Amino acid sequence: MEIRLSSVFLTAALLSGCGWFHRGEKAPTQVVAEEPQAEPSIIEPQVNRRVVKTPKIKAKDFELGGYFGALSIQDFGTNPIYGVRAAYHVSEDIFLEGFLARSKAGTTSIEDVFPAITVISDSGRHFTYYDLDVGYNVLPGEIFLGRGHAFNSALYVTVGMGDVKFADKDQFALNFGVGERLLITDWLAMHLDVRDHVFETDLTGRTKNVHNLEATLGLTVFY
Amino acid sequence: MRSLLALLLLQAFSVSLVHAKEQLLEVVVAEPYLEMRSGPGRGYPVVYVVGRDEVVTVLYSRTDWFKVRAPRGQEGWARRSELALTKLESGEPAPIPPYPDFATHRWEMGAGYGVFNHQNLVTTWGDFGLTDSLDIEFVLQQALGTIDNRYIASVGIRHTFIPEWRWFSPTAGLGTAYQYIDDKVPPKPLQTSNQLAYVSLGARGFITRRFMWRADWRKYTVFTNQNQNEEPQEWKFGLAVFF
Repeated sequence: MEIRLSSVFLTAALLSGCGWFHRGEKAPTQVVAEEPQAEPSIIEPQVNRRVVKTPKIKAKDFELGGYFGALSIQDFGTNPIYGVRAAYHVSEDIFLEGFLARSKAGTTSIEDVFPAITVISDSGRHFTYYDLDVGYNVLPGEIFLGRGHAFNSALYVTVGMGDVKFADKDQFALNFGVGERLLITDWLAMHLDVRDHVFETDLTGRTKNVHNLEATLGLTVFY
Repeated sequence: MRSLLALLLLQAFSVSLVHAKEQLLEVVVAEPYLEMRSGPGRGYPVVYVVGRDEVVTVLYSRTDWFKVRAPRGQEGWARRSELALTKLESGEPAPIPPYPDFATHRWEMGAGYGVFNHQNLVTTWGDFGLTDSLDIEFVLQQALGTIDNRYIASVGIRHTFIPEWRWFSPTAGLGTAYQYIDDKVPPKPLQTSNQLAYVSLGARGFITRRFMWRADWRKYTVFTNQNQNEEPQEWKFGLAVFF
């Protein structure tokens, strides 16, 4: 056992010694063949290299605009609605869109019959919503106006969710819509939309899902 | 007042001059021809064809399509993959930007649906990649319940375990948040705002182009001034675009 241990140490010492001696050695020098000297050029060009900047291509995938129309608030009549919308087109088929709009509810039938009764306060009649949607261009195509004009268009469907604030309460709402986009020029579009905002409420006594349909006309700009 | 008006007019004029000087990219058709369509979509008819060695001007892009102008002024839409085969006048390939690589993308913006402690949750987020696998996430969300309605803003870091897995890649994160509670029915909450901390587990995947999905489960600790902290959970699923 002792012999084996000592032989291990001896080998280690020898190896490290070898390493020590090698440290002093110079690295082998590389022999480089001498290149034949080039003849000195007569004209030395003193022209700076021109930096060519290639122009960038502008992406016009965003769409921003406004809309107005009529909103039918279930049990509270049909009223004007105004809103803004912004979309980002991911591909020729898919887009993501956000909406923000406001309307004011009228009176419900019981309030019409018995004017002394108020179901919601005046400030609570505001119907405000925001929606985050994903849309799909189902039927892209062209619309012809007479013989000489063709406009690019698309029929799209949207589905999304958001918040509806009505009667001073925020409710989670789903929305389903179908719309038609007509491009007047390549950067200006007209929209015709029909959408349903569905949410649960107990405003008229019992808890139920209410459907609030809106039909709007909008104008957007691509940038 | 008049001088101010004159100044404004001058500025408007100079801005329009700058716009007029804006250079557009010009590329040479290198393939036998380049098709131009009437609209930015696969179904629109081809209305013009530009031949080899002719120069087209690239005006702007929309999704996968580029509006181009032919030498004689005709305008139409060319497909990204076809325009990428053109060349610059110097002979170099045209700098038609490809879609960002999903595994190495930097920015991300998305929105989705979730459930926070049995409440419906609308979530939006922005995400910046410090490296391919480490992100900072900023999240704004609204939880809409029957008792209260709360707004939660959070910031955190997230690790993507195998970013090169395109279709499904697990993630984990942690961060801090702040919530504001807006009560719907009495009694009023003891505290209307709290600081929170969270840990999260999730996954992400590529869909198409610059489109992706993300799913996330979070466990929060709400720091309250009571004896016990609340520990709500949340899960969500959303769609995002990356740049």
